[in-house]
Amino acid sequence: MIRLVGSEIFKLRTTRTFYGVTLLPLALVVIIVVVASLTAKFTGDSRDVLLQLMGITGLTQIFTLVLGILAVTSEYRHGTITPSALVVPDRIRLGLGKLGATLLVGLIYGLLSGLLVTLIGLLLVSSRNIPTEATFSHAAKLIVGGAIATALYGAVGVGIGAIIRNQVGAIVGSLIYLFLVENLVGAISGLDKIVPVYGLNGAGTALSGTGTGSTDYLAQVPGGLVLLAWAAVLLAIGLTMMRSRDVTA
Amino acid sequence: MAAMAHAIEVSGLSKRFGEVLAVDGLSFTVDEGRITGFLGPNGAGKTTTLRMLLGLISPTSGTATIEGSAYATLHDPTRIVGALLDGGLFHPGRSGRNHLRTMARAAGIADRRADELLELVALADAGDRRAGGYSLGMRQRLGLAAALLGDPRVLVLDEPANGLDPQGIRWLRDFLRSLAREGRAILVSSHVLAEVSQTADDVVVIAKGRSVAQAPLAEIMASSGGGMKVVGPDTGRLRELLLADGAQVSGDVDLLVRNRTGEQIGRVVAQHQLVIAELSPIGSSLEDIFFELTEASGGPS
Repeated sequence: MIRLVGSEIFKLRTTRTFYGVTLLPLALVVIIVVVASLTAKFTGDSRDVLLQLMGITGLTQIFTLVLGILAVTSEYRHGTITPSALVVPDRIRLGLGKLGATLLVGLIYGLLSGLLVTLIGLLLVSSRNIPTEATFSHAAKLIVGGAIATALYGAVGVGIGAIIRNQVGAIVGSLIYLFLVENLVGAISGLDKIVPVYGLNGAGTALSGTGTGSTDYLAQVPGGLVLLAWAAVLLAIGLTMMRSRDVTA
Repeated sequence: MAAMAHAIEVSGLSKRFGEVLAVDGLSFTVDEGRITGFLGPNGAGKTTTLRMLLGLISPTSGTATIEGSAYATLHDPTRIVGALLDGGLFHPGRSGRNHLRTMARAAGIADRRADELLELVALADAGDRRAGGYSLGMRQRLGLAAALLGDPRVLVLDEPANGLDPQGIRWLRDFLRSLAREGRAILVSSHVLAEVSQTADDVVVIAKGRSVAQAPLAEIMASSGGGMKVVGPDTGRLRELLLADGAQVSGDVDLLVRNRTGEQIGRVVAQHQLVIAELSPIGSSLEDIFFELTEASGGPS
């Protein structure tokens, strides 16, 4: 299994897409953090500087979901699923290799973006003589929670990619779901206490510990368990489909 | 038991895609040290058969085994079977060398094997370029390199000559011969008979998912009795007349008549004032045998 994960990580890092999907969003996050740190007032409800800034890493989390989708769908798009399945005939193992690679890359990516945001943000905000009220344990909770959320979003992506093999369809569908469907459905009275809390967005926000506003988010650990459940269900469906479907190209 | 098993054994293999029976009760074997040509027109079910053999498509019924085991149950498949499908399938943005490495790493094979293989298929110089920029011939060679990754005893190659120029086809032929001399069993599919006629020891011919002939190539060549080929606008009518007269006729549009001389056919044509464009004797060329075998199964028989 270790060599399988190694092969999948190698697959990811030997295409340019990987760098586009990871480095560009990271650069964007850094730019937004720099601008926010230098201009935001950080008073009243937004007094918790770190919590405000870490919310920006939601962008890298979404792109890790896209990376997870790509790990599966690019194999179907380019037909490399055939040589991959020849080397690893058990397609459940093949999918688990992709899951392992995506989790590992997501964790490192999440830690990296969390650390960058924390360091740059605190440095710039304190240079403006604004009290950050940051403690080590508060920062650690946000960085670790954010990194695990990033990894789990990647796992969700692997599951979605295994269900919807069409690359564009899977990515566009996921983004529409995340940005449109959950928000619309979450606005319906009766569901407004459920979807924003237990949905993909809400669970990720809860695990990251970056919830703000009026929504009553779960605590980090229960939020993480809900996100884990999302990933587990999607992966169970996706890997089962991956095994039973014929590999025709 | 395992030592007694055929390198490849396909037995009663069928695959149904919805309404279409793509492969229909197919059985054949391939043995070590021999090249078996797997022939049939496009759409005959060759690729589906090979994909079932390689565990990529689940059969509707029947079995396909390699050295006695189903592909999916092979412990270390790359060291037993190597396969080339669809001219090799690559990520266009990944270099040829890295493509081989992704497979090598999953199979627990050292990276330097990728370099050796690039050398072997004459791609060493292009190995670091993105595969999307490769010519068709280069892709086929990269696909062959991938098939040889684990130095397998059995090779399954789907249309490996597709897109190769005459030089490339010659290179492939010599390459396959040398691989077979090393004792490997090779199953190579093609819809162009000429490609395998100089390479294959045995042939399996299929049409519409069914086997229509399987024998050593030499045997098939010898057993062919020739006949007369008729082409033209009125062959449909001619076919009926000849059949009514007890002739052996195969083919719907281009007819192949087995037990009538050119003159006998000419008299029928003249008597009924039919128009034909060609009336010619068929030698025992493989192309004709192929035509006859695959067309015959399309008839109303």
